[in-house]
Amino acid sequence: MMLWRQFVMEWRLYSRDRVAMFWTMAFPVLLLLGFGTMFRDGGGPRLSLVRVLPQSPSPSDAALGKALVDLQLNVQTLSKAEAESRWSRGETAAQLEPAGAGYRLRLNSYLMAQAGATAGLVNQAYLMAQARLSGAPEPQRIPIQMESPGHKRSASYVTFLLPGLLGLNLVSMGLFSVGMVNVSYREKGKFRRLAVTPLPKWIFLLGQVLHRLTVTVVQAGILLLVGRLAFGIQNQGSFLDLLLIMTLGTGCFMAFGFALSGFAETSEGYAALSNLVFFPLMMLSGVYFTLDAAPAWLQHTVALLPLAPFIRALRAVFNDGASLAGHGLGLAIVGAWALAAFLLAVRRFRWA
Amino acid sequence: MSTPSLRIRGLRKAFPRVLAVDGVDLEVARGEVFGLLGPNGAGKTTTLEIIEGLTAADSGTIEILGLTWEIHGQEIRSRIGVQLQSTSLFNKITPREALDLYGSYYPKRRSTAELLALVQLEEKADAYHITLSGGQQQRLALALALVNDPELVFLDEPTTGLDPQARRSLWDVVRRMKGEGRTVVLTTHYMDEAEALCDRLAIMDRGQVIATGTPASLISDLAMPSVVELTFEGMAPDSSAFAARLGQAVEPRADLWEIRTPDPKALLPRLLEAAEVGDVPFQQVHIRRATLEDVFLQRTGRSLRE
Repeated sequence: MMLWRQFVMEWRLYSRDRVAMFWTMAFPVLLLLGFGTMFRDGGGPRLSLVRVLPQSPSPSDAALGKALVDLQLNVQTLSKAEAESRWSRGETAAQLEPAGAGYRLRLNSYLMAQAGATAGLVNQAYLMAQARLSGAPEPQRIPIQMESPGHKRSASYVTFLLPGLLGLNLVSMGLFSVGMVNVSYREKGKFRRLAVTPLPKWIFLLGQVLHRLTVTVVQAGILLLVGRLAFGIQNQGSFLDLLLIMTLGTGCFMAFGFALSGFAETSEGYAALSNLVFFPLMMLSGVYFTLDAAPAWLQHTVALLPLAPFIRALRAVFNDGASLAGHGLGLAIVGAWALAAFLLAVRRFRWA
Repeated sequence: MSTPSLRIRGLRKAFPRVLAVDGVDLEVARGEVFGLLGPNGAGKTTTLEIIEGLTAADSGTIEILGLTWEIHGQEIRSRIGVQLQSTSLFNKITPREALDLYGSYYPKRRSTAELLALVQLEEKADAYHITLSGGQQQRLALALALVNDPELVFLDEPTTGLDPQARRSLWDVVRRMKGEGRTVVLTTHYMDEAEALCDRLAIMDRGQVIATGTPASLISDLAMPSVVELTFEGMAPDSSAFAARLGQAVEPRADLWEIRTPDPKALLPRLLEAAEVGDVPFQQVHIRRATLEDVFLQRTGRSLRE
């Protein structure tokens, strides 16, 4: 009863801050629209190559040009001067230029991911062009297939992006906004008056977690709706499973925020502290790059962090229509973190 | 009931740079309005916050309604009412919602309508907290302190920042609390407020209680409970020659001299004679009873307002 009142009051006060509420709801939608527009067609960002042609292009230059296009590279042909200035601005990932009788490929060391992939394609195109010129049989290519871990193939990159956005949004809300709001309210003495009432801390905190939980569910609902209307992205799994994962994840990362706020004296201190937690969590989650090369002890430790199993389960259900059965362990890890973080939050919480 | 509402022994609290509370003993009887009077920084608020359970003391014992924080924390919270020196609520909560919400934390509660009427906030019942005036916010804080029908109420500087009319109406509310049998402990640095409201007072200075008693007894216990004032047009002149002639201490204030005495009747003829001889250009003579301000002054050598 006390919890319900607390929850209702949180929502009431929250809904009165229209601007904050609007942006909380709109932010993930804007991200989705932004990425969705950028990568509207094709599987992810397309690779592009800057090409500098010699003064008088030879037939072999032309053949290479055709092969590059055949391999779906986005080729931009520029003059030497234009290409140099673009390179200096750091906008070029890979640049193909004449050198002596042949070519040289320059790769931007800051953009290695795109540059490396482009280099592979350029070399392939070179072999193709040479074969065509000499009349040899065209080299065979091994077919490539983009596929999710759940064996789904989608034409649209945004489809895979959406659950990632859902997850990222939730983590940043938990670690940044919720914890920060908590610290700044404490700094302003907004909780002092509550300290002299018999209201138990855990009810106060749980009320806030539940409030945030429902906020994220609404937020996710809006995001899914926009994804569906604007990009035709559909949830492949069951909505109930999705709700369950979101609930566990929200509980976990909101509790994280509250727990962290118990360790910071000031909002400035909190900003530093939350980054300290956020970045390792992000980098080590295995969501953005694999940790195959990392030492074994690190891999074992990382396997126990909550972000990776959460995102994995979210993507599996949303993109691959998987059931939750295969994610029991992962969700148990997320749930355990949620509980531990909440208990820590209650223990560390101070009214003033 | 025989147990006092509040009994404090040897309370001590040091902050990194200041000894805020330095061995305070207090005892407040049931149904009493008890005041902690002292200048800013005397340790009144720290003392109160320790009693309310907001700040931990370094040492000392506190018994509230016969209970202690260590064992009966929740029960104490249920039975006391607290108005903090500044009550910061959420900006967009309304008085009605705040009273409903805070009331819901307690096993026993008074109706929101009754409380709104008590502090005359019915018209502002549905306005956002941030839009209320200082006085209205203060009245809401007072209503919140009464939301659980408490036996013991703590008010920290309840009238600071209020206009004279708002102060009077707040005094009425405090008197009603007393009429309803509640015990009230309040802090103030206004001597008139202490005198008007409090059954008993503890005067605090630099973390210590320097005197305790009823306002009347504190004054009558003074060695020199009467004050004769000579007022001047404009600034008061130098008083040393006059003091020497009179053979008594004269304290110059901005536009008057104060002479303290146990016996104004005996002093007056001598004083007028000395003024005549010295050709002192005073305008008026007043004889007044000493006030709590004088009590503080005579015990510490400093003014309450410093």
